[in-house]
Amino acid sequence: MATTVKDVKKGAKNLTTDKDLTAPAVKPLTLPKDNPVIYPLTLPESEARRQTPAVGQRASRPDGRLHGLGQTKYIDDLTFPHMIFAKVLRSEHAHARIISIDTSEAEAMPGVLATLTGKEIPVNSFGPTLQDQPVLADSVVRHRGDGVAAVAAVTEQIAADALEKIKVEYEVLPAVFDSLEALKDEIKVHPPHSNIYTSKVIKKGDVEKALAASDHVFHRQFRTQMVEHVPLEPHSSVALWDGNGRVTIYTSLGRITLGREDVARTLGMAQSKIRLVGTIVGGNFGGKNEITNEPILALLSKKTGRPVKCTFTRGDEFISSTIRHPFIMDYTSGVNKEGKILARKIRLVLDGGAYCSWTGTTIGKGSILAPGPYNIDNLLVEAYAVYTNKTTTGAMRGFGAPQVCFAYESQMDDIAEKLGMDPLEIRLRNAFSEGSSSPTSQVLQSVAVRESLIQASERFGWKEWTQ
Amino acid sequence: MRPFEYAAPASAKEAVALLAEYGDRARPLAGGTDLIVDLKHAPGKLAMLVDVASIPEFRGIELTDEGLRIGSMVTFGEIMASPVCNELTPEIVSASHTVGAVQTRNLGTIGGNLVTCVPSADSAPSLLVLDAEVTVAGSDGNRRMPIMEFFVGPRKTCLQPHELLVEIFIPKASLGKPSSFRKFGLRKGQALALVNGAGALYLEDGKITQPRIGLGAVAPTPIRAPKAEAHLEGKTPTDELLNEAADIAVTECKPISDFRASAAYRRQLVHTLTYRVLKRSVQIASQR
Amino acid sequence: MLVQLKVNGELRSADVPPETTLLKMLREHLGLTGAKLGCDVGDCGTCTVIVDGQSVNSCLMLAAKASGRDITTIEGLANSADLHPLQKSFEELGALQCGFCGPGMLISAKNLLDKNPEPTVPEIRDALSGNLCRCTGYTKIIEAIQDAGRAMSSAGA
Repeated sequence: MATTVKDVKKGAKNLTTDKDLTAPAVKPLTLPKDNPVIYPLTLPESEARRQTPAVGQRASRPDGRLHGLGQTKYIDDLTFPHMIFAKVLRSEHAHARIISIDTSEAEAMPGVLATLTGKEIPVNSFGPTLQDQPVLADSVVRHRGDGVAAVAAVTEQIAADALEKIKVEYEVLPAVFDSLEALKDEIKVHPPHSNIYTSKVIKKGDVEKALAASDHVFHRQFRTQMVEHVPLEPHSSVALWDGNGRVTIYTSLGRITLGREDVARTLGMAQSKIRLVGTIVGGNFGGKNEITNEPILALLSKKTGRPVKCTFTRGDEFISSTIRHPFIMDYTSGVNKEGKILARKIRLVLDGGAYCSWTGTTIGKGSILAPGPYNIDNLLVEAYAVYTNKTTTGAMRGFGAPQVCFAYESQMDDIAEKLGMDPLEIRLRNAFSEGSSSPTSQVLQSVAVRESLIQASERFGWKEWTQ
Repeated sequence: MRPFEYAAPASAKEAVALLAEYGDRARPLAGGTDLIVDLKHAPGKLAMLVDVASIPEFRGIELTDEGLRIGSMVTFGEIMASPVCNELTPEIVSASHTVGAVQTRNLGTIGGNLVTCVPSADSAPSLLVLDAEVTVAGSDGNRRMPIMEFFVGPRKTCLQPHELLVEIFIPKASLGKPSSFRKFGLRKGQALALVNGAGALYLEDGKITQPRIGLGAVAPTPIRAPKAEAHLEGKTPTDELLNEAADIAVTECKPISDFRASAAYRRQLVHTLTYRVLKRSVQIASQR
Repeated sequence: MLVQLKVNGELRSADVPPETTLLKMLREHLGLTGAKLGCDVGDCGTCTVIVDGQSVNSCLMLAAKASGRDITTIEGLANSADLHPLQKSFEELGALQCGFCGPGMLISAKNLLDKNPEPTVPEIRDALSGNLCRCTGYTKIIEAIQDAGRAMSSAGA
C-alpha cells in the first residue's frame, strides 16, 4: 500500500506550530581562503599512542577482503533449494478496527502456496519493554505500516500480486498524529491505557528558587523530526525447518539473542528449537534491533514445507521499519551575569509512535543527557513518551542524545548572543570537568570536554573566524 | 514487474508498426530510467515493450551544412563525450551533466527525457533557446516541427501512442550561439530541478540580438519567456536591463507549490536564474 | 526468453522471463550476488555494473536489453593472480564498513579510473554521485580511489 505525499500532508495538518519560533541572527561562517580542508587529514600523534602502542594503530577490518571482492553474503544473497517468497500486506489506515480479512481469492491464485493472518500467530505480541506490538495486526491497526496479512508464493511478483487480492474490511477510527495532542488522551491508541506509556523525572537542587535568583531566564521550544535509518540493505529474512521440528531463521537482525527470545515467545516454542543466524548486516544504525517478519516466515515455512524468504521493499523500509523519535523539547535556563547556568528546567515529549519498541532506552538516555555536558546544580527534567498513530519509533544512533543536543546547544548560542559572549567561552565556563556530577549525580571521570573544545577550536581556527 | 513481451525491432518502420499493432498495450523503451521505475510501481496493462534504443535511425550525432543532428536515442553520457556537442552546443552538454548521476546518464537518452515530458525536463531549456526542431516518425512517415510544438502538457507530448521521436535538430544559425544553462535542485546530483533554465543571445555592435529565454519546472511544460525576450531585443545589456528582463520572465511563468518548494520561492529562483543565464551569455558574447 | 551475454569475460546465458532486470538475472540466475538490490529504482547505485564500458544501474536495465553485450561485475575485478588496485586500496584504507555499497562503489570507481587515472576530489565526487553510502561519510572511499589511481598510474607508467 503506497503512502503518498497527500497522506503525509493530511497527517501534518494536525500538528500545532510554534509561531513564536524566530531564529536569532547568525553570522555566516566562511572558510579562510588560505586554510582549505585537504585530503587526507593528518593529525599529530597523540600522547596516548606513545604510551600504548595499540592505541592509534591501524587495524585491518576482518571483513574488508570479502567486501572488496563482492563475496560478503547478506541475507538476500542467500538462496535455498525450493525457496519461495513472502510479502506482507500493510494497513490502509492509520487507525482502524479490523472487521474481517478474506484471503480466499489470494489463496486461489496459481503459485500462491499459503497465507497467514494475525489470528494464526500463537502469541501475537512482542516488544523490548512492553509487549504491545502484534506480529500481524489481528483486531486493530495502529499505523499505516502495520502488517495485516502475509502471502507466500513461488515468485516475489506473484506474492506481491496476491496481496492485492486480499480483502480487508476496516472500521476507520479517529487517529492522533501530534504528540502534544496525544498527551491529552482524547484519542487513545492502546485503550484503555493512557497514551503516556513511559515517563522519567530527574530532580536536583531547587530549580524554581534558582530560576528566581537568576539574572536572565531563557525559554524556548525546540522540535526534531522523524528520521529513517535508510540502511542500504533492506530488512531480509529466510526461515526453514528441519525434520526434528527446529526452525532456522537467517535474518538481517542485529540482535539475534533478543530476536530468538521474541521468536520463541510469539511462536510458543522453546528457544532450544530456534536457531537465528545473522550474517553481515548491511547497515543497522539501530533499525535492525528487533524482529519484523521472522515469526511470519517461520509459520509460512511450516505451512508450506519450503524455505520462505522476505525482503522489505524500500517503501516498506520507510513506512514499516522503526524510525527516530521526534522530540518536542521545552527548555528554560536561568543564568547569572557571567553566563553561568544556575538552573535548567526541561520538558521532553517523545513521539512514541504506534508501539513502544526501544522508547524505554530512548527516554532514559534523552532525559539524563538533556541538560547537556554542563555543571548545573538545579535541575528538573520531565520526560513523557506518548503513543501516536504513526510509524513505530525505535532505536537510532544516539538514542535520544542527538535530539536533546540540538536543544541545549541551540540554547547555549541564544544565551551567548544575549549576553554578548563568545559561544565558545560560555561553554568553557559551564562545561563538565574531572569529578563533575552528572544530572543523576554520577561522579564523572576521564572528562575532556573543555580540552576537546579548546583543541578543536584551535585546529579549525575559531579565533580567526570570529574576528 | 508484471509479465510483458519484449521486442527490439531493427528499424523505425517496424517499431511504429509494432506499436500500432498493440495499441495501448505496448510502450516504447528508450533508456528505461523513467519507464522501468514506472512499471515497477504502476504496471498498468502493458503487454509488449518495444525497445527502440538501438534503432540506427535514432542514433548518432552528425554535423551537416544545415546544422547539428542528435539522434533521439543518444544518451546523455554520449552527448557529454561528443567533441562536436562540446564545441558547438556546450549548454546542451551542461544540461546533460545535471541529469541524475553517471549511471543514469549512461542509460538515459535525450529523446526519452523529451518524451517523458515532465515540466522539469533538463534537456528542454537549452534546446528551446537554440530554436531546436524535432522529427517525429508516424505511420505516414516523418514530420518535423519546432520543439515548442512537441510539448503539450505535463507528461504529454504531441506524439500519438504509436509514434516515435527520431531526432533533435539544432539549426546552423544557433550553433556556437553564446548561451548558458542553470539548474537549481535540492542537491547537486540525482536532483529534480526546482527550476531550470537557459538563455542565449548574440551581441551586434554592443546590442542584444535574437535573445532567447527558456524555463522549466515553472509551467505545465518547458516554456519560453517571449515578453522578457522582446524587452531585451536591440538594447545594451546593462545589469539593470537584465534584471528587468528577469522581472518580466517571472510574470510569464506559473510555478506551483509542492513539497520541494513553494511557488513564491520558485519565482525568486526564476528571477535569479534568468539574470544569471543572461549575464553569462553576455559575457561569452562580449569575449568574441 | 534466452538471454546470452558475456559476464566478466565468460559467455553466460539463462532463460528468463522478458520482464527480468539484468540485476535479477545476475543475482538469481547466474549466481553473481555482488550487485545488490538497495532501492530498485536507480537511486542508490548498489546495483551498478559496467555494460560495454559504461557504468549503469542494472536494476533499470532489462536482461534482454543487455543481450549480446559485455558485462563487468564486482566478481570480475580481481583475477586469479591478484586483487584489483581499487580492492587493495579499499581494504588497506578501511574504506568500507557494512560493505553493502562496496560492489557498486568499486565498479563506479573502476569506470572512473579507466577513463581518468588521476581524478581530482570534485571529479571523484561527481563520478560517485550515483552511489550512496550510509555508513562511512565517503571520506575514506575518496582517499582509497585516489590511492588506487596513483598506484595504477605508476604501475602503468
